[in-house]
Amino acid sequence: MSDKPIIPIRDARRQAPQRSEYSNTLARVWSELTDFCRSRSMYMLHYCTGCGAVELPPAMTSRFDMERLGIQPMATPRQADILLVTGYVSVKTLKRVILTYEQMGSPKYVIGICSCTVNGGMYWQSYATAKRLSEYMPVDMYIAGCMPRPEAVIEGMRDLMEEIKSGRADSWKDYYRNYNRYLGNQQRLFGEYWQTPTDILAEAEHYELTGPETRGSHTALLDKNEKPLEALHSHLFSHKQGLKESL
Amino acid sequence: MNPMELTSPDLLLAVAALTAVVVLIAGNTRAGGWLATLGYALQFGVLSRMAGLGYGEPAIESALHFDVFGWSLFWRYTALSWFFAIITVGAAMLTALFAAGDWGRQYRRNGGSLRLLHTALALNVVAMLLLLGSGELVGMCIGWELVSWASFLLMATGGAGAVQAALKYLVYAIGGGMAMLAGMALVYSLVGSFEPDALAAAVPNLSDGQVWALVLLFGSAFGVKMALLPFHLWQARAYALTPAPGATFLGTISSRMGLFAIIMMIIAPIGLLRLETISGPLGLLSGNEILAWIAVFTIILPTFTALRQNDALMLLTWHGIGQGGYMLLGLVAGDKLGLGSAGGIMHVFNYATYQAAIFMSVFAVVYRTGTADLNKLGGLITRMPISFVAMLAGIIGLAGLPPMSGFVSKWFIYRSLLIEGEPLLFVGAVIGTLGTILSVYKLIHNMFLGQLRLEHVKVREAPPTMSIPMLVLVAVVFATGWFPGIVLDWVAAVQASIGLPVIAHHWGGIDLPAGGLDMRWVVSILLGGFAAGAIIFYGLGNRHRAVHQLDNYAGGHFLSGDVRYQYSANFYAGLMRLIGPWYRGTFQWLESGIVSGVSAASMAAQGVLRPALPGAYLLLTATLLLWVIL
Amino acid sequence: MNWTELILELLLMPLVAFFVGLAMVLMMRKVAARLQRRVGPPLLQPLYDIIKLYGKKTQVSHGVMHDIGIIMAVGGYIAAETLLPVPGMDGIADKGGIITLAYFLMIPALGLALGVGQCANPNGSIGISRALTSMLAYDIPFIIVVFGVAFHFGTTNLADIVRIQQEGGIGGWGIVEMPLMALAGLFAMQAMLAKEPFEVYIAPPEIATGPMVEMGGKYMGGLFVMQAFQFYTMGVLYTTLFLGGGENWLSFLVKIFLVILIPVTVTVIYPRYKTDDLVRLVWKWPTAIGLVGLIFVMH
Repeated sequence: MSDKPIIPIRDARRQAPQRSEYSNTLARVWSELTDFCRSRSMYMLHYCTGCGAVELPPAMTSRFDMERLGIQPMATPRQADILLVTGYVSVKTLKRVILTYEQMGSPKYVIGICSCTVNGGMYWQSYATAKRLSEYMPVDMYIAGCMPRPEAVIEGMRDLMEEIKSGRADSWKDYYRNYNRYLGNQQRLFGEYWQTPTDILAEAEHYELTGPETRGSHTALLDKNEKPLEALHSHLFSHKQGLKESL
Repeated sequence: MNPMELTSPDLLLAVAALTAVVVLIAGNTRAGGWLATLGYALQFGVLSRMAGLGYGEPAIESALHFDVFGWSLFWRYTALSWFFAIITVGAAMLTALFAAGDWGRQYRRNGGSLRLLHTALALNVVAMLLLLGSGELVGMCIGWELVSWASFLLMATGGAGAVQAALKYLVYAIGGGMAMLAGMALVYSLVGSFEPDALAAAVPNLSDGQVWALVLLFGSAFGVKMALLPFHLWQARAYALTPAPGATFLGTISSRMGLFAIIMMIIAPIGLLRLETISGPLGLLSGNEILAWIAVFTIILPTFTALRQNDALMLLTWHGIGQGGYMLLGLVAGDKLGLGSAGGIMHVFNYATYQAAIFMSVFAVVYRTGTADLNKLGGLITRMPISFVAMLAGIIGLAGLPPMSGFVSKWFIYRSLLIEGEPLLFVGAVIGTLGTILSVYKLIHNMFLGQLRLEHVKVREAPPTMSIPMLVLVAVVFATGWFPGIVLDWVAAVQASIGLPVIAHHWGGIDLPAGGLDMRWVVSILLGGFAAGAIIFYGLGNRHRAVHQLDNYAGGHFLSGDVRYQYSANFYAGLMRLIGPWYRGTFQWLESGIVSGVSAASMAAQGVLRPALPGAYLLLTATLLLWVIL
Repeated sequence: MNWTELILELLLMPLVAFFVGLAMVLMMRKVAARLQRRVGPPLLQPLYDIIKLYGKKTQVSHGVMHDIGIIMAVGGYIAAETLLPVPGMDGIADKGGIITLAYFLMIPALGLALGVGQCANPNGSIGISRALTSMLAYDIPFIIVVFGVAFHFGTTNLADIVRIQQEGGIGGWGIVEMPLMALAGLFAMQAMLAKEPFEVYIAPPEIATGPMVEMGGKYMGGLFVMQAFQFYTMGVLYTTLFLGGGENWLSFLVKIFLVILIPVTVTVIYPRYKTDDLVRLVWKWPTAIGLVGLIFVMH
């Protein structure tokens, strides 16, 4: 951990709904439909870092039955919509949490469960614990408590459902738009050679999700130090090797 | 011999011989491979002039004939000969093209003799064309021996290990040749002639024991070449160690000469009806059922041996043995509609096309990466897409799935077994197919799918001389799958020429009141389904983005290129926990089984022949003794 | 046959299959929930899931074969549905028949296997290796059943098999005439649907859902569509072979839902076998039952 200051992350979630950008009625209806379906079909990936994980089985099984809300657990980040981080996040763990978050398909939502994800909780004085999860990735919702009961978890999920349905839960876009800031905080913890396998910058450009602060000094450092990770595109002949030469 | 009466078969043989001479002279030059390809193309042209044979025209006599000691040796081309010849020459042409460009240069750089390779290939073609044209047993015997020695020569081009494997083949081939001589002697003593027609005329008067002796002798003689169980042990290694064009040629068509000879000497003269009437040991199974069971075991055991291989070439050559079983199974299934024999004969063509495609794909990978070890490859689809497509089309055919042609021939065989009410043979054949699916998926997965290794990042697609033959074969496999009528026409002509029931086919397959097959519909609907799937995939949802292979789920672990993240070794671990022990000792068991099988056969022959034909009995005993000693 | 009518059938059959299949997926989840004393998902949950998955903003591809694999998985089933006769629609059942259908059902599996292969994830590859192993296991009783049924009715044409059964009344149904075959078929179907105790290749706690490990967004959506088709196909195939097909849509739907009810119930109350135990079990029991049934069928 370096002595650089933490870059303040704006609370990105409280922006105006994005719906107004649709002039076409059909596009707006489709967008509302998908938002509705997103809110009614949430696949969880629980990153069970701490004690909070123990509250999730009762929330899923007979007593509280999350499936009636369309919420069910999934095995890998590719399949999941919600990342539940259920406790304190050590520096070493945080790398994996970020890797996992980046591998999830957008739109994706992060829920921090337990006080430890909010402010470090009882690990406040630990040198090896990241205090606030939302400094390293956009968090849609914190469910405070040590630990929160299943009722509280489900209450939080219902709030998230409401926000997704109304189109307000779009903090996942913030990760692309302000990637430079998040990356800066990550580099502050992990050093200048920090790199995940997911190329967030290329992804942001591919899906046109870039903002004014997607790039900056920290992404420049990443560009300088990173090992190349471009996709292995199929090709018949490498650019120099023409048809004639290979005959 | 009147030179004015030269016919197309003579021209064919002349061009084939000329090709051999040309490559013997110019084989080592830069143009050698191209000249060979040209030679085979000319032969192909002559064969297409004879295409009428494939559509029911009468046999064409060759001007080549001798009269020796009162026997008349003559050659002629029938629909059967033409069918096998067109596959032979086609395979030779494409493999020669495959070797003509970069492959040949690399081979020469590595110290191989292109002249030897091309000459051996051309000699194989000459010998096979001669064999295919032979009209009676003596000519056939000459052709047979030539084919044996020519394929030995081709196998021996592969270096020390290959010579050892080829010598093993030679031992088997000599044994087979002995059995053939004994069979000829038996035929002559029974019929007084070497002509299959005369034999066919005499068959109704032969005793069951005599027919059995014929089947046994000719079956083991030709079964060696075809690598029927239990004579299959020589083949896989011998073929796998042969250089690329040689292995492709041998693997696709050479062994099928055994099937041709079995058709010529067992199926055509003796006939399936007669085979059904003779009974085996204890009267349990009829003659054709015994042959069918041999075929089924030839399908199953080599296929599951293939499943265990870690070398792509060994895997393929073992499958080649297994696929021969389908051909024999179809031929002896013996339904009245001719479905089974059509499937069996058609499978020769289908098998040749897709097996050649897979062989070329594997050799293209070997050319680029230098290895065929399935545990040292992976992820090549992004680097060698054409080879991938060739292998994909090939393995779909080999596994016998629609829409490729392999499905059609297997469907005919299954349908025939269903009509005949042979559930166990049917299940046995399907077990072979399932084993094939497992093994070919392992082949394509470990070579082309999964993680690309660091050392293969710079690998390129094989050069056009190698990829064009592959694409031609893919097109043939697909076209004959969509319109199997193309091949079924020829198959029907073959059936007519050897006196089997002729199938009433159409372009898409066959109409039967109790459930037929129309591949035009089946393939079209499948393509339609794929089109619908593509519309759903590309039309709905946001556009996709390709990611690096290391951007992958690993339970939160950070992957790096130097640590392998690939599953290839012991690919079917779960299955092998169960069936792995079954393999143990199979080979020793089989080798000793061959010896005891032969002695049992000789005892049986003794019981049958000694009372009937003392002279032939002596000859036969001598042959068998020699065979066992060898 | 009238061309427009045929084209309409070819379009309608997969569409019906999809929606009926979605209802079966819902039934599976509801049954599991009720047996665990839960409420379970709402009525349109399968539809929500699929729309959400297709509506994902980022779609992660591992290469061309990954995409084509999904296309083959969905497209193969769309094509297979036209070979399955339903009340009033025979599609092209007379052009292929049951052997063709049995092989058609391997196309989506092969497509998926190739697609998963390109994902370059060992979990996926292990999943495929297990899936193919279990295919080797369950296809043997399945093929015995196919042979027995085709031999018994004397035809491979599924439309004719349905007609013959309906002419014989309930006494003519396959399940009455060939009860052992029907039992073996039920066993095989449990494994074909990859439901516990034969769910070796999904196995989320072991290999992170195997073939689905790298599937997100519309890739996963495609697999959900495929699952709906798979349920429908199995239900209709079993009904066609053993329960006299559908006299009308009402009895047809009742039958296919009852058929699917069996595996989705069994799946909730069993744990998972090891791969080799699966093979041993399937090669022993359903195969033996099928072979005994075959003796009765053929004599």
